Amino acid sequence: MVIYREAYRLYDFGPGHPFSPVRLEMLTSLLQALGVWREPLSPPEATREEVLSVHSERLVGRVEAASRGERVPDLEHYGLATGDTPVFPGMDRAARALVGGTLEGARRLLAGEKRVLQLGGGLHHAQYDRASGFCVYNDLSVAIRHLTRAGLRVAYLDIDVHHGDGVQWIHYEEGGVLTLSLHESGRYLFPGTGHVYEVGKGEGVGRKLNLPLEPFTEDESYLEVFEALVPWALSAFRPDVLVVQAGADAHYLDPLADLLLTTRAYERLFRLLLEYAEAFAGGRVLLTLGGGYSLDGAVRVWALLYHLFHGLPLPEHLPEGWRLAWEARLGRPLTPTLHDPEAPYPEVPRRPEIVKRNRLTLQRLTELVGSRLLD
Amino acid sequence: MLVKDVMRAPVVTVGPDWTLEDAFRLLLERGIRHLPVVAEGRLLGIITDRDIRLATSHLNPQGPCPGCAQVGEVMTEGVVTAHPLDPVEEAARVMRERKIGSLPVLEDGELVGIVTGIDLLDALLRLTGVTEPSGRLEVRLPDRPGELARLTGFLAGRGVNIHSLLSYPEDGDFVRAVVRVNTLETHLLAEGLRQEGFAVLWPPQKPW
Ligand SMILES: [Zn+2]
Repeated sequence: MVIYREAYRLYDFGPGHPFSPVRLEMLTSLLQALGVWREPLSPPEATREEVLSVHSERLVGRVEAASRGERVPDLEHYGLATGDTPVFPGMDRAARALVGGTLEGARRLLAGEKRVLQLGGGLHHAQYDRASGFCVYNDLSVAIRHLTRAGLRVAYLDIDVHHGDGVQWIHYEEGGVLTLSLHESGRYLFPGTGHVYEVGKGEGVGRKLNLPLEPFTEDESYLEVFEALVPWALSAFRPDVLVVQAGADAHYLDPLADLLLTTRAYERLFRLLLEYAEAFAGGRVLLTLGGGYSLDGAVRVWALLYHLFHGLPLPEHLPEGWRLAWEARLGRPLTPTLHDPEAPYPEVPRRPEIVKRNRLTLQRLTELVGSRLLD
Repeated sequence: MLVKDVMRAPVVTVGPDWTLEDAFRLLLERGIRHLPVVAEGRLLGIITDRDIRLATSHLNPQGPCPGCAQVGEVMTEGVVTAHPLDPVEEAARVMRERKIGSLPVLEDGELVGIVTGIDLLDALLRLTGVTEPSGRLEVRLPDRPGELARLTGFLAGRGVNIHSLLSYPEDGDFVRAVVRVNTLETHLLAEGLRQEGFAVLWPPQKPW
């Protein structure tokens, strides 16, 4: 089941902002042009109370006031009205629309649905009482909390290129939530967290896993550590359901980060995710989008996800009419095929060192967490 | 950042007539390693877990100290101390030069706190701004007036909040500035800085 609403496109920080609703417009129009678009489920916005299941009253009150255009002096303190997360009229409702979609995904899983793809959301940086990094409300955590309150064990898997800090901190002391984030190392990249030694607190100890990867990590090294870590963690944790933030900003074309995944790695990742859901979570999986700031890269990655999610054969070429129309609108050329061209970028000189360091990071993580994951 | 901003208070102390067993048990219970020794409100010395373990170990080159049953016999006297208004870097320097792990903090002769190496590491973490969600920029600046202002002016112009800014001298008349900025868009900032002639060391330029 796919969840999507036109209203998601109202989550718009304005022209020039990377988190652009154009991505959704381009994606849905591509799926329509390919003839695979099926009518999605369009749930209503989350309520204020549902948002308050993971956020503070003070944050929500400020988002509401700012959405109405009221002057609030301390917005910056709450991560709002910043360069990354400016305020805009109607922001509260737009953010609640995204939360409502992901939350409905959680409800459907509880009602017996196996797979849900939410074409939006994935706002993993939003914290308990702070908006952060383009994220106003944390739709993922609202959905996760809904699932844990129903007694389910949730494994959260985050493949966005940035650390899933908001989700991690919100559930940091919960034993029933495994968070697992693969991301470009925070040594330089926003938000600066996601080190291997962030392993949880209290009942959550050993249930928060972070694999920070070297800048310029490529397909092979990424898949190597992913395939070593994820099934190991999932088989130890035995979740009832998998929640996945499928950000596309680890793609090599992404302007905000430095990982070098191609669509081939993403195809493999998505196939594995669906397999892991079957093997370790009774097939139950809720997928959301997330970051992804190259229109060319992100839209093709998510189109891939949509096809694999429905078990559809992958098209090789993108419809020419669609491509020409978007090239004209964006004023630049687009990749004409679903997959990236072979060898799309020059060889990375530090490759052997990067591969080695990623292995070492994985080793450190497994040593640090080790048997604690099984407790 | 001053010593009073990073010191721990109140301080766990012992008297000189405490037994080593009792002092050691207190260290374990509190999860600490340093105990100022106080009598009648006056700082007499300091004793660490290492002092006690050495005094009671048969691995001690002099053998387990036969008469050493009390804190007063094992403690270090002539303690180096700090004042609450000392800058933290001064405390760090004293501890590094004297190779000691803590400084009792005295004000008007009264023990008001203690600073350990761990507190200084916490101070370092706070100074680097890593506790705030942020990205990191590294820029090499010519070591002359106005360069840092040019950098921060550029960031201000882009509406970027600076969580922390560290700079340190480099060889060849340069200063390395490490800036933690509240934005996901460090790459775009770096590009803009390069266009303005700044030597941005991180994030690097992608060759495609
Ligand atoms: Zn991201």
